Amino acid sequence: MTTTARSESFGAARITRDTPVGFELIGVKKKAAIQLMGSRLWGRFNPNHWDPVYAAATGLKAPIQTGEMSSAYLSEMCVNYFGADFFRGARMQCKYVGSTFANEIITTYGIVREKTPKGSGFRFTVDIWASNEQGEKKTVGCVEVDVGV
Amino acid sequence: MTPSEETDLNHEPRTDDLRPMTSVQIQQTRDFVESLQEKCETYWDMIEVGDCLARELEITPELVILYADAVEDYNSWYEGWRMNTWRIEGESPFGPAIVPPLMVSHFVLSVQFDHTKPFAIGSIHTFHDSEILEPILVGAKVRITAKAIDKFIKRERRYVRHEVTVNDVASGKLYFREVRDILSR
Repeated sequence: MTTTARSESFGAARITRDTPVGFELIGVKKKAAIQLMGSRLWGRFNPNHWDPVYAAATGLKAPIQTGEMSSAYLSEMCVNYFGADFFRGARMQCKYVGSTFANEIITTYGIVREKTPKGSGFRFTVDIWASNEQGEKKTVGCVEVDVGV
Repeated sequence: MTPSEETDLNHEPRTDDLRPMTSVQIQQTRDFVESLQEKCETYWDMIEVGDCLARELEITPELVILYADAVEDYNSWYEGWRMNTWRIEGESPFGPAIVPPLMVSHFVLSVQFDHTKPFAIGSIHTFHDSEILEPILVGAKVRITAKAIDKFIKRERRYVRHEVTVNDVASGKLYFREVRDILSR
């Protein structure tokens, strides 16, 4: 399967080889909606993800979202900024450090930590995280992406 | 749940706390939860270091839409299916429609343990280190391979670590690689 990049369009400012260290990405904001958390694709087989009664019985104050949903939000932010570059030779590390509870509003964030010369461009390292409205971090990690290489 | 119930620590959780339900829906929900209480081993006991499992997954346009809608990601690059027209070639920087970068990671859970056995409810995915190596075109058939590479205890919690590869079934091309940890009960 041979693939060749072609035209792109973005709602966000693209990260280019000229983007400086310290640049802040504007993330995406999502609500931990119980209807999605309990969908067949996500947590239907585990009632901790959607049933308040079961979640309480296991010591949770509310059903919790699967961590992979936060990773998907962070990935969406990265596609907004890196476009096609995020689909080839990229790396994403995520650690789920806190539970995301039903009805919480989650926002993703990113800040360019480092850019290392590579080929005719740079390999960017961006610190990423997802937090609730109180600023409590739920997911932390980083991505590495080649730009203009 | 009313605002006063939200702050009431003695509030007894109800099935319909977070979404409206009739008594029929509540009963259906309780019956479904009860049906999930199969006797199962913990994830820790199900897995031995060295266990290697693989499954093939056809990434249909409908599966991609299901995933993208479930995280409210409406990027048109992922659309190999559109309402009214149905299956379409789609368009992305790589030609036709492509698969969201982390989508295959979501399906690893269905591979890393024997899926014919009852699912060990209570396990938690805690970490992933993913390499997105090549774009996957919608319609590709991939082979997901998961090998248990470690079991360890950290702060009295039990973790199982897997190494994952995702290859194209037809060409063998390596699309995706991942290391991931599951916290077991």
